[in-house]
Amino acid sequence: MLSEYKRLAPWFKKYLPMYIAGVICLLLTDAGLLYVPRLTREAVDIIAAGSPDLHLILRISVIMVVISLFVVIGRFGWRFFITGSARRIESGLRGLLFEHILKLQPGFFEERKTGDIMARFTNDMRAIRMACGMAIVSLIDGVFMAAFILVILFIDYPSLAGWIIIPLPVLAVLVLGMGRLLGKRTKRVQEGFAALSSIVQETFAGIRVFKTMSREQYAVEKFSESNDEYIRRTLSLVRIWGLFFPLINFLAGCTTLLLLWFGGLQVMDGKMSPGDFAAVLSYLNLLVWPMMGAGFTINWLERGAASLSRIGELLDVEPEIKSGDAQTDDGIPVAPVGDIDFRDLNFSWSEGTDAVLEGISFSIPRGAAVGIFGRTGSGKSCLVNLLPRLYDPPPQTIFIGGRDIRTYDLQTLRKSVGLVQQESFLFSETIKENISFTAGDAADERIMEAAEFSTIARDLKEFPFGWDTMVGERGHSLSGGQKQRIAVSRAYLTDPEILIFDDCLSAVDAETESKILRQFIEKRKGRTSIIISNRTSSLSAADFIIVLENGRISAKGPHERLIKESGLYRSIYRLQQVEHERR
Amino acid sequence: MNEDKIIKGFDPIIMKRLVSYLKPYRMQTIVASAALIVLILSELLVPVIIQYSIDNHILAETVSVSGLRTDSIMLMILLAGGLAASFVQVYLMSVAGQGIMKTLRVELLEHTAGQSLAFLGGTPVGSLVTRITNDVETISELFSTVIMTLIKNLLVMAGVIGVLFYLNVNLGLVTLLTLPPAMIITLIFRGRARTAYRRVREKISAVNSFLSEHISGMKVVQVFAREAAVQALFDRRNSELLTADFSEMYVFAVFRPLISFLSTFSLAAVIYFGAGLNTRGTVTLGVLIAFLDLVRKFFRPLQQISEQFTIMQSAIAGGERVFDLLDTEDRIPDCGGACTDLDSDAGIDLCFDDVRFSYKDGEPVLRGVSFEVAAGETIAIVGYTGSGKTTIANLAARFWDADEGRILFAGLDSRKLPLALLRRTVQAVQQDVFLFSGTIRDNIALGRDFSDEQLLAAAETSCLKPVLDRLDTGLDHELSEGGTNLSGGQRQLIAFTRVIAHDPPVLILDEATASIDTETEKLIQAGLHNLLRDRTAIVIAHRLSTIRDADRILVLGSGRIIESGTHTELLELKGFYSNLYNLQFGLSAD
Repeated sequence: MLSEYKRLAPWFKKYLPMYIAGVICLLLTDAGLLYVPRLTREAVDIIAAGSPDLHLILRISVIMVVISLFVVIGRFGWRFFITGSARRIESGLRGLLFEHILKLQPGFFEERKTGDIMARFTNDMRAIRMACGMAIVSLIDGVFMAAFILVILFIDYPSLAGWIIIPLPVLAVLVLGMGRLLGKRTKRVQEGFAALSSIVQETFAGIRVFKTMSREQYAVEKFSESNDEYIRRTLSLVRIWGLFFPLINFLAGCTTLLLLWFGGLQVMDGKMSPGDFAAVLSYLNLLVWPMMGAGFTINWLERGAASLSRIGELLDVEPEIKSGDAQTDDGIPVAPVGDIDFRDLNFSWSEGTDAVLEGISFSIPRGAAVGIFGRTGSGKSCLVNLLPRLYDPPPQTIFIGGRDIRTYDLQTLRKSVGLVQQESFLFSETIKENISFTAGDAADERIMEAAEFSTIARDLKEFPFGWDTMVGERGHSLSGGQKQRIAVSRAYLTDPEILIFDDCLSAVDAETESKILRQFIEKRKGRTSIIISNRTSSLSAADFIIVLENGRISAKGPHERLIKESGLYRSIYRLQQVEHERR
Repeated sequence: MNEDKIIKGFDPIIMKRLVSYLKPYRMQTIVASAALIVLILSELLVPVIIQYSIDNHILAETVSVSGLRTDSIMLMILLAGGLAASFVQVYLMSVAGQGIMKTLRVELLEHTAGQSLAFLGGTPVGSLVTRITNDVETISELFSTVIMTLIKNLLVMAGVIGVLFYLNVNLGLVTLLTLPPAMIITLIFRGRARTAYRRVREKISAVNSFLSEHISGMKVVQVFAREAAVQALFDRRNSELLTADFSEMYVFAVFRPLISFLSTFSLAAVIYFGAGLNTRGTVTLGVLIAFLDLVRKFFRPLQQISEQFTIMQSAIAGGERVFDLLDTEDRIPDCGGACTDLDSDAGIDLCFDDVRFSYKDGEPVLRGVSFEVAAGETIAIVGYTGSGKTTIANLAARFWDADEGRILFAGLDSRKLPLALLRRTVQAVQQDVFLFSGTIRDNIALGRDFSDEQLLAAAETSCLKPVLDRLDTGLDHELSEGGTNLSGGQRQLIAFTRVIAHDPPVLILDEATASIDTETEKLIQAGLHNLLRDRTAIVIAHRLSTIRDADRILVLGSGRIIESGTHTELLELKGFYSNLYNLQFGLSAD
């Protein structure tokens, strides 16, 4: 179990002084607390002896207050140092985990549910915080207090101590045993809760089906059953939980009871003073709760370890797409500039499956504008996803400036190769922020220019707050075309060496698309552009067009030539011509 | 619905409404309250017995061992009584809390699921899930623990004060000296704690929503190589959360030690004044020792009370959100009435009569659509995205009501049919199949009683049978969430089987827009054919074979029907359809 915590070693090392300071504070607090009963005893004995010296008593009282002032500082201190460090560790681990997943390939996210990854960031982080904070506090507090009080009791009251601590082993066993059982049942309750949530989630995600079939009642019944199960699990937890604290209280009470009987007898015999009686009473009160906390520690540490191993699983996933290390003599990563060469590229999603691309070979001279044309499923998107290495092409198949793209520094490559996808993803931020996402420090004029370019600027007046309108799940809902144009503005603003439009204006009408694309090609003179579109009109301005059919290149040439050769391109071109004239 | 209503002032109306859910659990509440009183008495009487025993038996002029024995037995009984009462109280209130939780949850789900698609479509699923799960959970916690412990703590404090005064008025007054500062500290703390808590919640939700969004949009981040910038944004949110966490920690790190300081301060005061009073013979040693115990008993609840108030307030805020949802009424109006099946032996014909519709004012989607579908006929609707095809499906199934015009089934206005009957008569199926976690059987039957024969017959018709035969468990094959362990084609076949089993006379099929690979095409072709046979059907068609097989094709353009006829007729027309057709299916017009 403890081996899991090795992962946190760097943080423990970093915060070691904090932890040490915290432990010192904790021990001082405990020492102060342990001293108070001694003072009580002294005072009670003075009072019991009759006609007490009030000055002496006052001094004792003042010392008590002064000690408890130190206790206040000590308590603040251990909270600050230990639970503070735990929070810092949690925060640091969260940052590290996010940094790690940022490096993972898109395939990783396609295989996993967002919710699963999220759980690592929420529940598991919380468990680790408990393990690094309260668990350590409870352990030290419990062990220290218990050890000292037992020592004091056995030294000062040897004949009494043996009797009054009888309930304590029971308490220890109870906390350890029940703690584990509590942990198990709590977990079952949490699973029950997750099951409930997923039924609600599914019901509303699939509400159409239920409504269509008029079977809403079925969802309600399923939910109701799942609720019964949840209640069953919760009550089985409550049966332990409801007994746990009362039992601890009871056992604590039993120590008092034993003190009353055995201590009472000793006081009667004069073997013990009334002050001793009062002091032991206080010690017992100090003992019970730390012991309980120490018992819980095991539980917290176990849960923390389980969470750490789950987080570790994610941290151990190696990014499949590894950065290359091509550098200039000055040690700066080489920027991918120059002609793009595809050399006999074959690609399939995973081994053994059908090839998506076969024998692709062609070159794009630097600064050219290339169109890619083909039906759905012909491999167009796949081809352009390989360029920024979202999926990894086989080695020695794609070259930029004569260098295999796999040898370039990944970040540099991706900064040089922009890709606008058909499915545009917007974040829950303002339109402006979504456009400037790729270039956080862009001036307003540049953002506006980008908005003008994609023609989204025209639509701004429709939005309640112009370009400060929030979009996304909780914001203003946009049409597909508006989303796409925002994504295009985004790419325009980055203006990379190589820019790819992957049919990213499909939801915009043909005329607007063609207008944007013409402007686009004009603007990007000197840098390479790749445009995928299903509309021949949009591709006509390209220097040449690659036609893909079933993963192979079936034709290649400029628009003017392709419309003269018989084939897919020409037939679609003619159809689209007819449509255009009809309008 | 406002997610940010985390903590609000105490709202008696909400509280009253919440408490009304406690009615069915009157017995439990009464017994639990009785147990609570026993528990409080046992807590308060322990120090009293010790005091009594010290003064009257241990330190008395004539010591009495038998007296001490009686006291010890009394103490034992009190402790055992406290243990039993405490368990009974916690258990019974949990039963009540859990029961209330179920009632509320089922009520909420049922109510919400009954609302119109317009409402459900406009409300994020996540927020509905939060209402029904988390908010209700807080409310149940209110009943199962918070109210009772709050009452208990208040009563214990009051009881301690009572006992203190009973034992010794002067010493009681001394002890209470620290009460005013304690209350002031608690009040200040409550305000601070509330602000800190709220800030932490806000920051947590900022971090989490940032995370979940960027995990979903990771590809965009990577395409633009924005990892560093995104990391920086995340780090900012993360460190804001840490700051908020710390300010919450400071509040607690100051409050808790301060209260226990006051507790020790009281102790010191009791000793000093107790000594003074003792010399005058008004305070016995037993009373002094009892006070030492009682002071601690007084301050422990004080530490908890303010937290319990906070939980109570968030439960009330949760209650408010829950009731908001429960009070939302946005249903498709149901005329009710007897639910006798339409006479469907001869099939049911369907008619759109000058139907106009807009989702938003001023943006008409359908601008007067009229057509008829004869009983048993299949018509295909084609048109560009945004031409209103899906709207026709939505209106036919009455997920929305038309603004103008009528939709008739067998000559009857759909708005005058009982909703349950209408939904049995006409079913809209999407090819973007939604499967629930559970078995294939569950997914087909949706809780209706079908025999194995019926289900297998339906599977036979839909061509799902061969798929089932290949699975070890057949119908009882367990699907993972969303049915991701099946291929697209298999999922569609399950959806077809679902419809065939439920057997609606009228079917509205919205085909998936995504292109389908040849294998899937082959797989579902026969099933689809059987599905449409003998049914009146409107198909929002995207696939060539469906369109060709249709009896008639309607071409929709900007909310109107612009062409209609059979495939051959329309092709010959060389109009919009022939264009669209050739464009979409890329067939040579040479």
